[in-house]
Amino acid sequence: MTAVTHLLRLDVNGSTVDVAAPAHWTLLEVLRYRLALTGSKQGCDKGDCGACTVLFDGKARLACITLAADAVGHRVTTIEGLVTPAGLDVLQRTFDEAGALQCGFCQPGMIVAARACLDRKPDATRAEIKEALASNLCRCTGYTKIFEAVEQAVRAGKAAHVGGPASLLPSGDATPAPASGAAR
Amino acid sequence: MNAFEYARPATVEEAIGLLSAKDGEVAPLAGGTDLLSLMKDFVVEPKRLVSLMGIAPLQAITVGKDGLRIGATVTLDALLQSGALNQWAAKWPALWHATAGIRSLQLRAMGTVGGELLQRPRCWYFRRGHGLLAQEADGSSMVEKGDHRYHAVFGNAGPAKFVHASSLAPALIACGATAEIASPKGNRTVQVEELYRTPATAGERETALAADELLVAVTLPRPRPRSATYEVRPRQGLDWPLAAAAVAFELDGGGKCVAARVALGHVAPTPWSVPEAAALVGKAIDAAAIAGLAAAVAKSATPLKGNAYKVELAQVALRRACAAALKGA
Amino acid sequence: MSSSHGSGKPPADRADPLQHARSPNRTFGPQPPGEQFEVIGKRLRKVDGAGKATGEALYTDDLALPGMLHGKTLRSPHPHARIKRIDTTKAEALAGVFGVVTGAEMPARFGVIPWTPDETALCIDKVRFIGDPVAAVAAVDEETATRALDLIEVDYEQLPALFDPAEALARKDVLVHEGNKHGNITKEVLLEFGDPDGALAKSDFVVEDDYFFHGTAHAPIETHVALARYGSDGVLTLWSATQIPHYVHRELAKVLDLPAPQIRVIQPCLGGAFGGKSDPFSLEFCAAKLAMKTRRPVKFLYTREEEFYAHRGRHPMAMRFKTGLSKDGRITAVDSKILIDGGAYSSFGLVTTYYSGQLLTGPHQIPNYRFHSTRVFTNKPPCGPKRGHGSVQPRFALEVQLDRLAEKAGLDPIEVRRRNFQGAYTTTVNGQRVTSNGFDQCLDVVEKASGWKERRGKLGRGRGLGVAGSMYISGTNYCIYPNDMPQAGIQIKVDRSGLVTVFSGASDIGQGSNSVAAYIVAEELGMRVEDVRVVAADSDLCPVDLGAYSSRITFMVGNAAVHAARKLRKQVQAAVAQEWGIEPERVVLAGGFAFDKDDRGKAITSAKAFQITEAVLETLGSTGSYNTPNLGGDYRGGTIGASPAYSFTACVAEVEVDEETGIVTVPHVWTAHDCGRALAPVLVEGQIEGSAYMGFGEVFLEHHDVNRYGLHARPNLLDYTIPTSVDCPEFHASYVESLDPEGPYGAKEAGEGPLHPTIPAIANAIHDACGIWLTKLPFTPAKVVAALQARDAARAAGGGANGTANGRAH
Repeated sequence: MTAVTHLLRLDVNGSTVDVAAPAHWTLLEVLRYRLALTGSKQGCDKGDCGACTVLFDGKARLACITLAADAVGHRVTTIEGLVTPAGLDVLQRTFDEAGALQCGFCQPGMIVAARACLDRKPDATRAEIKEALASNLCRCTGYTKIFEAVEQAVRAGKAAHVGGPASLLPSGDATPAPASGAAR
Repeated sequence: MNAFEYARPATVEEAIGLLSAKDGEVAPLAGGTDLLSLMKDFVVEPKRLVSLMGIAPLQAITVGKDGLRIGATVTLDALLQSGALNQWAAKWPALWHATAGIRSLQLRAMGTVGGELLQRPRCWYFRRGHGLLAQEADGSSMVEKGDHRYHAVFGNAGPAKFVHASSLAPALIACGATAEIASPKGNRTVQVEELYRTPATAGERETALAADELLVAVTLPRPRPRSATYEVRPRQGLDWPLAAAAVAFELDGGGKCVAARVALGHVAPTPWSVPEAAALVGKAIDAAAIAGLAAAVAKSATPLKGNAYKVELAQVALRRACAAALKGA
Repeated sequence: MSSSHGSGKPPADRADPLQHARSPNRTFGPQPPGEQFEVIGKRLRKVDGAGKATGEALYTDDLALPGMLHGKTLRSPHPHARIKRIDTTKAEALAGVFGVVTGAEMPARFGVIPWTPDETALCIDKVRFIGDPVAAVAAVDEETATRALDLIEVDYEQLPALFDPAEALARKDVLVHEGNKHGNITKEVLLEFGDPDGALAKSDFVVEDDYFFHGTAHAPIETHVALARYGSDGVLTLWSATQIPHYVHRELAKVLDLPAPQIRVIQPCLGGAFGGKSDPFSLEFCAAKLAMKTRRPVKFLYTREEEFYAHRGRHPMAMRFKTGLSKDGRITAVDSKILIDGGAYSSFGLVTTYYSGQLLTGPHQIPNYRFHSTRVFTNKPPCGPKRGHGSVQPRFALEVQLDRLAEKAGLDPIEVRRRNFQGAYTTTVNGQRVTSNGFDQCLDVVEKASGWKERRGKLGRGRGLGVAGSMYISGTNYCIYPNDMPQAGIQIKVDRSGLVTVFSGASDIGQGSNSVAAYIVAEELGMRVEDVRVVAADSDLCPVDLGAYSSRITFMVGNAAVHAARKLRKQVQAAVAQEWGIEPERVVLAGGFAFDKDDRGKAITSAKAFQITEAVLETLGSTGSYNTPNLGGDYRGGTIGASPAYSFTACVAEVEVDEETGIVTVPHVWTAHDCGRALAPVLVEGQIEGSAYMGFGEVFLEHHDVNRYGLHARPNLLDYTIPTSVDCPEFHASYVESLDPEGPYGAKEAGEGPLHPTIPAIANAIHDACGIWLTKLPFTPAKVVAALQARDAARAAGGGANGTANGRAH
């Protein structure tokens, strides 16, 4: 069928933008090819790699399997939106300082996912950081320096966007540990 | 992805009106985590998507006299985060384990309970466009002849060899949950296991929902059993288990079992209810009883040439889930 | 062979412009240019880090040009078929389609190795695997291009397909490449050094086993992507996610039949490669051809599925290994026979075949050695070089055999490796010159870090430690097409503002080669790193570098950078000295200043120093280059794998085996790598961690498998499972600095070597944990459980657990 074009009013990085896009376009396509926000990357286009991660009402979400139409009425923040006139997000700085950036292709999504993590849990532990980044694939680093970068941001105590007290790890006082996987 | 028409109704009734009785024409869209990737591979090619994310009542979690009712488009993240509010995690640990086992913050933020329950099989023949039954022109099974390391070891006598991909379904089945279905003819409620069926011919669906029906909620009943889910997964990050078991027991004051329900996941074309669990009733659930149950389950397995190991893994999952359920009580 | 180790004095450059028959080998020794290192060895940020962290960095798919069209490729649905007819009429007629191209329009054969050009940009008369490219379309958008593909009619005559390399070797009636001289054999190498049969016959202990290394993929997060523009000036510009822009340039000229000066190849930021982007690929030719046909820019972006078809991943190898050991723990001989599954095309296969044997002769002294490696064609996606090209597979076999022998001899596995350490400044049995060698120190580091002595054997049921060692090249002196020119070049431009621009042909694929070039130039000129800008991988602007493969860039481009900058340094020192009326040796360049060593208050900025120099000399600029010395054994193939310096690695892995499920977790991997000198410690650690990670992924999770229909079983990143943040061990990376006499400031490679020992160390740790020898990768739960059952059966029958046990399970 011929593509139906919709006029979408989106809230991206704090600005309201009107975009005409085919109904079947994803949020990632609109960001990259309509709004020229090319920081969000396409690695798999099927939600498997996390390189397209954006914040959607503050929560990490995969733009490649989100229809642009489903973004109407929600706040979208991309990697570009983490840079403000005051400078870089603390995570953008610590990723650079810790040497977490090799090819860098996964990192916009990784940094956005880490931002969602620290917004929910500014004092995230290494286990919580690992859990939060579990569906952002990195092929270069073995994640080691990525964990260090996020921990450095935690230590910097500048993870400003403090959110609720909920834990990122599926373990809590009233809750049993998940039974899954290999030997412990 | 092919072009399609997009609709975003505000009510269930409106949504039902936008669906089509003809299979494949229209697809309801919730989190989109499975549907959009299938569409990008042209495995399904609906002409219209009906987004359910504008229907507020479907996103509610409510505690009523019947138990805990979870709307179909409650996201997995919302479900996990609601734990602090009503401590449901402590009350239905089997479901909590299964939900937390989906280890992707993004997919948990997007994916919904209904979408998880109705996701399509991960069968690599199906995903490469060979259909649910993956039959060759002569009707023979590509799965049987080919690599079937991840395929069914139960319920595979017919042409369907895939395994159902839901991780939540076994837990809900073990906990005795029901599902509410909206249809043009009105609403009905079924046990969660009744949502699933094994297709016998090409073109049949793997769910009992008609193409113009919607899953609107699942309800976890009281009383709350001791329960647990155990999943065997080679990749700790997002992946589908090789085998999973969800168990739920109700014990009397003396520690005797008064009710037991067990369901296996990822081993059959449907979530696999284990009828042998009924034999536990009236007994103390000790190591011998658990081993006996696992052995009985293994006896009813029908592995293919290259996936007998999954029978062993299912037994391990079952034993470990039982142990966790008893310990967690 | 000639080299000028450590003299610190470059030869006079212009004495006799034709004094060399071949571009000279120049090195400058491990010492700092000034009093001490100011930049080298420091924990610095990368020059491109901030841009990558903010999303500003532009990768190829981030580029868009006015009027740009989108390309799509039609691929073969059959594993082996003759193309009888292609009709593109209907596709061309579709509204929105601007151009269609088929193989007949680009008939020239190409291949990254000029001796084996067996590919065409699009298949002409035959397809050889499911996914082989057949035709390409440029259209106004991707949807239209995809619809146009459906309108291309192709008649195929299906042919019997070969998926099993052993069958491919035997069959003479089914040929993947007709006209190939040796049936389905790509390359066969049999080399023998010493007397392996005699030595094995006299050995106290001999083990002989079959090993299998499965196919794995690079899976970079960025897929292949290329954008071409054909300007009205007749210049074709190609932006491509490639790690070999120079070879792409050459092959484009050949296939498009364009003069090379009319072609410009640019590699933008690149999202991971690992060897997977080191061949020229169909999309580069198709984008270029369609841009020329349509006179509009054309971009091709491969889907993830197409990326798996383009492949060039790790070759599956079936390996028979026989190794002998004396009672005192000395290796007596190694004898291997390897069948290599090459897939449909040659790619780097000639080199792979040699590397499967040539790179095994260190760090252990092997006095007698034979390898017999055969690569065959099959109807599967073509294999090629993946990180640790060719040698990761046999290294797995050899290091597991060493542990099997250690057990027989009753020796500690680390001790066996120590006893066989070949030492520094030696020659291997196959004639490779080894310079610096810190493998013994690497062993010490991982032994200590892992608590080997205290913990091994005391970890409890199902837990264990394992060790392995390895060597790798820092580039080789086998350059892919024969020529006497340098392997690497650098040009430097000096601006009066104090900015220095470094033009480097090298491909920064994330490993940080642009940063290393900047650090070296900053060190030599005494500048702040932020005042050095690097322009890289643009054939119009930069001198030739051969590419990011064989771990050659730090060593070769690094030496070229030292060479270029050292010349400038001397000019600046001389000019400032003259200005100040002092000896040039007194002029210190450091930290963005030039000052007088004996009167430290006398200082000027780098910019001022450059201005003074420019005033007395001329417009400032410099070139530098590197070529290898003559190396290698005096036999056919003796230069393949001959490196100016070898890196060495030792690894200890800790495992926990769940004996019921067969799932193995790896809590820790300790890797110590001899990189000569760590020019940039953060980058070196990152390479070690990333290598260990990639090796870990190959052990359990990753499998590039093709099913009985020839169809890739899992061409997506959900089913092709690579390790996530919650799967990975804690990677503990250390480096050992052996200070190589010929590396830039003593540096050697760090990007590929550290991968090798991870895999056998894990296999050996599994044996330590539960007494099974796993010999067939990947170690899936089914295989582990089958091996444990075989162990239990053997124990019940009264035997030990010494046999290798691999069930037939997947």
